[in-house]
Amino acid sequence: MPARHVPNAAGVLVVAFLAVFPFVYTAADYDYIMHICITAFFYAILASSWSMLSGYAGQFSFGHMGFMGIGAYTTGLFCHYLYLSPEPTRLCIEYPIGDLYLVVVNPIGVTSTTLTQDCLRQALAAWDGSVAVTPMPVWLGIVLGTLMGGVFGLLIGLLVLRLRAAYLALFTLGFAEILRATISAEIEITRGQAGLELPHLFENGVTILGQTYDKTDKIPSYYAMFLLLLLCLGILTWLSRSKFGLCVRALREDQDAAAALGVNIIRYKILVFVITTMMAAAAGAVQAHYVGIITPNNLFLLQMSLVVAMAVIGGIENFAAAAVGAIIIEFALELLRNSFEIGGVTIDMTIWRLVFFGILLMLTLRFSRNGLIAPLIDHFTRGHVARETVAARTAADRAGASR
Amino acid sequence: MIRLEVRDLHKRFGGLHVLKGVTFSVNGPELIGLIGPNGAGKTTLTNVLDGAIKPNGGTVYLNGERIDQLQPYEVARVGLGRTFQVTRLFRRMTVLENLYVPALARGGHHRASETRSKATSVLEFLTMEHLRNEYAQALSGGQQKLLELGRLLMLDPDVVILDEPFAGVHPRLMEIIYEYIRRVNGDGKAIIIISHQMDSIFSLSQRLLVLDYGNLIADGPPDEVKRDPAVIEAYLGTEADESSGDASSGAVSSDNAPVGNASSGGVPPSNASPDEETAAS
Repeated sequence: MPARHVPNAAGVLVVAFLAVFPFVYTAADYDYIMHICITAFFYAILASSWSMLSGYAGQFSFGHMGFMGIGAYTTGLFCHYLYLSPEPTRLCIEYPIGDLYLVVVNPIGVTSTTLTQDCLRQALAAWDGSVAVTPMPVWLGIVLGTLMGGVFGLLIGLLVLRLRAAYLALFTLGFAEILRATISAEIEITRGQAGLELPHLFENGVTILGQTYDKTDKIPSYYAMFLLLLLCLGILTWLSRSKFGLCVRALREDQDAAAALGVNIIRYKILVFVITTMMAAAAGAVQAHYVGIITPNNLFLLQMSLVVAMAVIGGIENFAAAAVGAIIIEFALELLRNSFEIGGVTIDMTIWRLVFFGILLMLTLRFSRNGLIAPLIDHFTRGHVARETVAARTAADRAGASR
Repeated sequence: MIRLEVRDLHKRFGGLHVLKGVTFSVNGPELIGLIGPNGAGKTTLTNVLDGAIKPNGGTVYLNGERIDQLQPYEVARVGLGRTFQVTRLFRRMTVLENLYVPALARGGHHRASETRSKATSVLEFLTMEHLRNEYAQALSGGQQKLLELGRLLMLDPDVVILDEPFAGVHPRLMEIIYEYIRRVNGDGKAIIIISHQMDSIFSLSQRLLVLDYGNLIADGPPDEVKRDPAVIEAYLGTEADESSGDASSGAVSSDNAPVGNASSGGVPPSNASPDEETAAS
């Protein structure tokens, strides 16, 4: 097999391994390992989409977790406040849709949940079990969350058209912080730091290949996040190999020169923002339903730093490397939690692991700017280039001499 | 028929009036040299023409379409391509990828095989086929210059502006650039060359435009422009006029043409030997 195909072959093997992993892994910590896998896939989506935005297109955005939050909160609010009822509650705002009523539950904030019932709970109490309301489908919330991420991506993309480098980074950082502060402040609607509870990804269980799983089983969520990761990586691969990939890389290299050569830099800047923010929002929506709660803390700068670090350590200019980096780092961070003793001194790894992680990040930036995984891929995919260049030059020289 | 019409173009940066009503037109596949001392407004004019900077006044039409308010990518698609004073390649993209960008970005339907074959022929012409898969940042300065010219061949514009194409280029590569200019011009494209290398400009151009402090002070055949007192004054200054005493009476020759400005190089006669050119400059 030619060396240049090694990364693709390795990728296929990794995907195949991850596809069967839930069925071959049987250790006692099964649920814990599955949870790490799901979280790792979540971060892999964020890191790879951020790599497309920042590494490929050169648009250094620090608002990626903000878009993740938009996806999560959109589906959260959608599932929390909207219901379908066969009967009008006459207490809530409601809109008739065919034989049903779309009920909009009134926001009651955090402390009042035990003191005051919202309008729907009051109606349900009055109906005394004679009427059943239907919550909104989770999949529709995820789709809406993804679309909302794209809408905000479009708006931010339009706003930052003229911003470059540090100004763009600061603008997007500001956006994420404003979003986090707004969600924290709007306690009445978002429940602030108390967090917004969401129905589980598979609230009523699911049957896969004849096997029924209930909502606490990890396997359905594992495959949901895994498939979303594969979908995102598939889209990114297709984009990177198309005219889009070529033009966004030209945009990163020199946007004035790209424009002078006919690249519609406005279109590509906005497109890359919309596509990558939709991916972040989709990941956020699925993760929020998996965890069952979303809080503004998920949007903290620290979380964004984690995604950036994962992409940088993997390889910022290669989204596949960024995804692999994210999975490895997530596993490393979780598995390094075990404290140990050296000469009677206890090393608390819950804290020190972050220090080691920081040192790894600094070393990567200092000695391997394109990460640790991407150069490995380059070694196989571009290792032949130098040899081919020399061979072609020699052949040309010989041809010239014989003439 | 190519027609670039620049009418009464003005550009101000704060209190600095960089272009002061520049007017000229390009009719057909002309090979034009644009010269002027440093700070004359040559690069600003290029930036206005390609849409990177919007003018404060005046109009630019290319083939009947007004382009002075268009975005640079739109100007490129209408048919005006340019290179930059300092080479601006996509450094972390391969040589081939650098060539594919303008071919694909211009829009329209492209067959991959056609784009590939066009890129290959461009690389053959530039004697760079062996470098096709190398990153642009790995190329030498001269090869980078050639690749930038190659990108223009892929864009295939009607009007080509070359900003300092000869600066810092090895004589062997210079021959390729000469050949490039003749070939592109022979294919029916209009070319505007901005350069401080007067020997190259005078030997190549059919017509010269001279900018000085934002004013177009001369426009004509090189031989006439050489003798234009305003051009002589722009390059030598009035004191030189007085000291030489014959500027008004005599033509600008290799002995007294812009020789005072070392950075501008000399204006050797077309038959001057390399030694004479060196002595003149």
